[in-house]
Amino acid sequence: MRKLFRTICLLWLSAVALHAQTLTFPRNGVQDERPNLYAFTNATIIQDAGTTIEGATLLIKGSVIEAVGKNIAIPAGTTIIDLKGKRIYPSFVEPYSSYGSPETKKEARAFRGDPQFESKKPGAYNWNQAILPENDAAALFTGNSAQAEELRKLGFGAVVSHIQDGIVRGTSSLIALIDGRDQEALLKSKVSAHYSFSKGSSTQDYPNSLMGSVALLRQTYYDADWYKKAKKNTEFNISLDAFNQNQGIPQVFEANDKLNILRAEKIAKEFGVQYIYKGFGDEYQRIDDIKASGAALIIPLNFPSAYDVEDPFDASVVTLAEMKHWELAPANASYLAKANIPFAFTSSNLKNKSDFLTNLRKAVEYGLDEKAALAALTSVPAQLLKVEDKVGSLKPGLLANFLITSDNIFKDGSIVYENWVKGKKYVLADLAVADLRGNYDLILGSKSGLKLNISGKAEKPEYQIIVTDSIKVTPKVSRSGNLLTFIFKTDPKKDKGDTRISALYDKNTIKGSGENGEGTYTSFLASLKDAYKETPAKADTAKKAVPELGKITFPFGTYGSEEKPKTETILIKNATVWTNEKGGILQNTDVLLQNGKIAQVGKNLSSTGAKVIDGTGKHLTNGIFDEHSHIALVSVNEGTQSVSAEVRMEDVVNPEDVNIYRQLAGGVTSSQLLHGSANCIGGQSAIIKLKWGETAEAMKIKNMDGFIKFALGENVKQANWGDRARIRFPQTRMGVEQVMMDAFLRAKEYEKSWNDYNKAANKASLTPPRRDLELDALVEILNKKRFITCHSYVQSEINMLMKVADSLGFKINTFTHILEGYKVADKMKAHGASGSTFSDWWAYKMEVKEAIPFNAALMSKVGINTSINSDDAEMARRLNQEAAKTVLYGGISEEEAWKMVTLNPAKMMHLDSRMGSIKAGKEADVVLWNNNPLSVYAKPEKSIIDGAIYFDIEKDLVLREKIASERNRLIQKMLSAKAGGAATVKPEGKKAKLMHCDTMEEGSVIVGADAETTHSDSGK
Amino acid sequence: MLRLHTAIQENNNSKIDDNQMKNIKNIFKILMLGGLGFLGNSSYAQNQAPGGPQGKAIALTGATIHVGNGQVISNGTIVFDKGKITAVGDASTNFDKTNTEIINVSGKHVYPGLISPANQLGMVEISAVRATDDQTEVGAINPHVRSLIAYNTDSELIPTVRGNGILLTQATPLGDIITGMSSVMQLDGWNWEDAVLKKDDGVHLNWVGYFKRELNVETFTFIQKKNDKRDEQLREIDKTFNDAIAYAQIKNPFPVNVKMEAMKGLFDGSKNLYIGADYAKEILEAVQFAKSKGVKKIVIIGGEESLSVADFLKENSIPIIVNTTHRLPNRPDDDTDLPYKLPQLLSQKGVLVGLGYIGLNWRTRNLPFLAGTVAGYGMSKEDALKLITSNTAKILGIDEVVGTLEKGKHATLVVSEGDLLDMRTAKVEQAFIQGKKVDLDDKQKRLYRKYAEKYGK
Repeated sequence: MRKLFRTICLLWLSAVALHAQTLTFPRNGVQDERPNLYAFTNATIIQDAGTTIEGATLLIKGSVIEAVGKNIAIPAGTTIIDLKGKRIYPSFVEPYSSYGSPETKKEARAFRGDPQFESKKPGAYNWNQAILPENDAAALFTGNSAQAEELRKLGFGAVVSHIQDGIVRGTSSLIALIDGRDQEALLKSKVSAHYSFSKGSSTQDYPNSLMGSVALLRQTYYDADWYKKAKKNTEFNISLDAFNQNQGIPQVFEANDKLNILRAEKIAKEFGVQYIYKGFGDEYQRIDDIKASGAALIIPLNFPSAYDVEDPFDASVVTLAEMKHWELAPANASYLAKANIPFAFTSSNLKNKSDFLTNLRKAVEYGLDEKAALAALTSVPAQLLKVEDKVGSLKPGLLANFLITSDNIFKDGSIVYENWVKGKKYVLADLAVADLRGNYDLILGSKSGLKLNISGKAEKPEYQIIVTDSIKVTPKVSRSGNLLTFIFKTDPKKDKGDTRISALYDKNTIKGSGENGEGTYTSFLASLKDAYKETPAKADTAKKAVPELGKITFPFGTYGSEEKPKTETILIKNATVWTNEKGGILQNTDVLLQNGKIAQVGKNLSSTGAKVIDGTGKHLTNGIFDEHSHIALVSVNEGTQSVSAEVRMEDVVNPEDVNIYRQLAGGVTSSQLLHGSANCIGGQSAIIKLKWGETAEAMKIKNMDGFIKFALGENVKQANWGDRARIRFPQTRMGVEQVMMDAFLRAKEYEKSWNDYNKAANKASLTPPRRDLELDALVEILNKKRFITCHSYVQSEINMLMKVADSLGFKINTFTHILEGYKVADKMKAHGASGSTFSDWWAYKMEVKEAIPFNAALMSKVGINTSINSDDAEMARRLNQEAAKTVLYGGISEEEAWKMVTLNPAKMMHLDSRMGSIKAGKEADVVLWNNNPLSVYAKPEKSIIDGAIYFDIEKDLVLREKIASERNRLIQKMLSAKAGGAATVKPEGKKAKLMHCDTMEEGSVIVGADAETTHSDSGK
Repeated sequence: MLRLHTAIQENNNSKIDDNQMKNIKNIFKILMLGGLGFLGNSSYAQNQAPGGPQGKAIALTGATIHVGNGQVISNGTIVFDKGKITAVGDASTNFDKTNTEIINVSGKHVYPGLISPANQLGMVEISAVRATDDQTEVGAINPHVRSLIAYNTDSELIPTVRGNGILLTQATPLGDIITGMSSVMQLDGWNWEDAVLKKDDGVHLNWVGYFKRELNVETFTFIQKKNDKRDEQLREIDKTFNDAIAYAQIKNPFPVNVKMEAMKGLFDGSKNLYIGADYAKEILEAVQFAKSKGVKKIVIIGGEESLSVADFLKENSIPIIVNTTHRLPNRPDDDTDLPYKLPQLLSQKGVLVGLGYIGLNWRTRNLPFLAGTVAGYGMSKEDALKLITSNTAKILGIDEVVGTLEKGKHATLVVSEGDLLDMRTAKVEQAFIQGKKVDLDDKQKRLYRKYAEKYGK
């Protein structure tokens, strides 16, 4: 009853306030304007992270701050609240929220359900369902008092909220966390525009890969620009309109991963925008690269739980990277602050919101400066999102959003009493509650001479009744305001029943009555004798020491090093050198590497200061170049449309894939990371050197021709995709030809329309053609700036593609897989195509039933530039063995066999002037083997790229020991964390995906293509 | 492990299972309609005929003989008659030179026919075409199904595998929990009766894992999750074994239960129990379970993470068939070469180790190179050879007749130009199975000749 009454009162009060401020609403009853002036005096006011005023006053009027400082004149009619000993902070600003937004849910779609090519959103919006710039959080805002209360409890007064759905997400609003009318809570609309790589609730097929998301976003920027410039609109597009309008405000990108920040940064540079990144909390792992972006961050305060590693077998599934992140995540903010990267905190990723303050304090404990922490909660988010004129500090004219705390808010045990939002008080803990502490004389019924001592914390007092010197009892006390209930035994040994007392505190006395254990009336009177004396706290001075933490390695985690490998001057002496040049295999030869290049090849070379490696009895070769690889990629197939030339594999390189290191240990130094084979025209290749520890960008081979993946046959006609994949054109090899033909005819027309436009005299009055990233890539092919690697199996389709190319005036650079290349080798030779094949794969699907291991030998003998590739993370680390099989099957000479994994792929990639042979002037990508590299017994001892040693068999042993000792250190640390009561999670492990040609991101996997195990029969 | 090797089985425990099964069924319905004609047309050239019975005694002389037990005889002689080895030794070995066909193979190498355990060669022709796939029977408990029935001696894959020196394969059914019985087959023969060396040599059990793998279709990652059905599945295995023990005690069972009949041999030692398990804890559990049920001969198949329980395997005399060494380490923190050196590390601990292409078919032709890689990473070449000859023969219980080149054993052997474990030199020139000369031609070689002729190369 009482509670109900209180609720009614609150509702009434808030209605009053609304009447005062929301003028457009009709009034029910009489006018009820009140003074609404409050002065908070004698407080320590933290105006902003950099300004603290002791003994100051905060004066607010209605929803706004009137004055802050000392000697503030307090007008008549002001309610004065004395906050001696208390602190006032600006309420926190949550920069990344979906508060008050409608929930977005993805419509469930059956695995391998029917394809959906077009948007299902009705109306004149973008063609793609994931492009939603028209979403205006303000228009769809509805307050939610439960959520508001939860956020207020964490200290937030205002949030910037947007609808977290789609790749382009529309605009956010600034919202005050008050209960009441939405008109009052909403402070500002179109605060920031939001982006991500996740298509969210979109059920449309495209995009289904990360590189597809990147491409769609880039295309949208171009489309919006075209739309803006278009003289005659060909369509009315609300989305593109909104997209253009949203450009003037802060742009926020949900990256959710350190590598995604670097990916989005490329888009930012392309379109001249500055994103603020919503991070993941792992930014410390690539701090220099993040810093170089110049971007500000919004980072979550959620830290991973320790793993339960008590069982050693279970613990083995937890990776070193996961363990290290557990240890270092709380230090993320501290690393960012030290690197001077601006950042704000968000509570958005916290599963358990009540961890927010705990984790904040933990971040401080891990070395984050308190001022930086406070700024990250107040002024930084306000400034980043350009709402610092409303929230984020305590200055006149800003909203009266502030916190009243017992102490330094970063101190453990500090209490937040009240969170005022827009001048409205929200109580989190009772500020007015009397401090009962002290020593009292107690008279209980007829017995006097007892004592009641109250100590502990004012908010959480501890009670003790001293009956006699030998009898001390701890009563059970419950308290509601000044009403206290005591339950105790006066003599625990003798008393059968409890004494129950109800008493009221009033001015240094606690007076009441009740019944003793026998049920007899008993009075209770405690009178204060000695007031409580606080023992001076030492917590402030004796700050907890920053915990000792492990080192950051590149890449982060397994086989990482604190220092990245550097180019050295290296002299390899007296080795058997496989030059791939006219000289062939040279015995007892020296090779000097200098400045990342091969400087000299010869006998008795010397160089002062060079690192000398004894090559006696060893073989020195070029590093292996894998022409067909899918390692180190986040996604492989876009594959939702038959043509996806716009996607770029370089957007999805994962430089931390351990397969990079494993392949270095197998002598691979360069790889073409290809798009998959799920569609006719796939995506643009990323061609990298396996520079383990570097960023994706640093791995990329610069100044080279572009490449692109095409595909033919069963995969592109979806032969093994399940019964519902019967809609996408083509479903036959007949259709494949038409897709290819049509794509290039469109590209020619596109090119012409640009040429016409560029040549036109009256350009200013013309609408430029729409920039189309898909056709751009095809035009590059027509203009010999981009070259095709085509997945292919049977002779008919190989022949077809060459004829299509011939008819349109371009060439197929390379046929990859090309298992029936031997049947059309003469035609390939005439066309000028290279062939990149497997050594011995066959029989995994219908189109490879006539594959033969002699294919490479036959193609090579006919005069085709032939290579052996892997398409497989495991096989790639034994490509030397695969090359050797061309000796076994078809009798290729060892020298020529070796070229099939080095010089020949370099030729295919148009890099043979720089790479592929051991010759002065070429790039120093070499491998030292313990044996003839074609032998099954051979293993690399050193893999060198650009003159830097990226794999060394001796250093490898050191790294293994380091992994073991670091794992052990962290396991012991987790065990003590668990023993100390920390929450733990059971290790379950996550197996990395291994990509093959036909690995699809979503919805479709080729039958038999076991994307996970590498020893699957099929899947090529 | 056996359970991992087709898309269908991969997802048996996952949410997408039903959909996928349905889709796969549908695909093959279409293939039935549209694809069979194509298949029929492709049989332009039949496999060559199996070798005839050995007529005359044969002596191979001047060879480096790799006995298969670690011993190497240089300039050796091996004589065999009526399918059996009659003499092995150095150049001074005595034999009846008048009634023997003497083949001088000096400079060449002679090896025992290699043995491929836990394999599906002959049981599937084209993995993606269901009509050609006889690897997996429906149902979880199938001890009674027999692989040799599916073993197609006319498979075009078999000669390509034989051509690299693999002369024996343990045809093994795939499936869910108890997958059926394997048989050891020779890689030459008119039909399965003709080809079989050891019929129904053992029952295969996939131990139920702690984790099931679930495909996240959003990210296309497999997430390892706790297998909630594990206890239920373990109870089912337990009940099956208890029932089989009880059934085995009935003298004239009526009605006859073919499943229980199939399991009888596990308790009297006439059949091996092959248990597929990779994870260390699962290996411990599975072995303890089988022993508690009185299973006499237990073999672990897979054992990718068996190193941490090697002492246990040694103490209990449990041999292991390790999955292909040509695979990636299971965990990022593992030594990069862990799969390559696992057989050696287990052997050093005293465990009897065989090496297999578990769950695969055509790739088996690389079996010698798996052993070669093991040698490249530290094991001696002759010890590595044992992994694919004598050790496997012991594990499968066929060491009386094959696995080494010793007097009295089958003349099942290979002559190669050089080191058989190294692809640089592994060219197989002759092969004999029980003294019958094997035709080493195959479909791929025929296609090679056809096109080499076309180009004049």
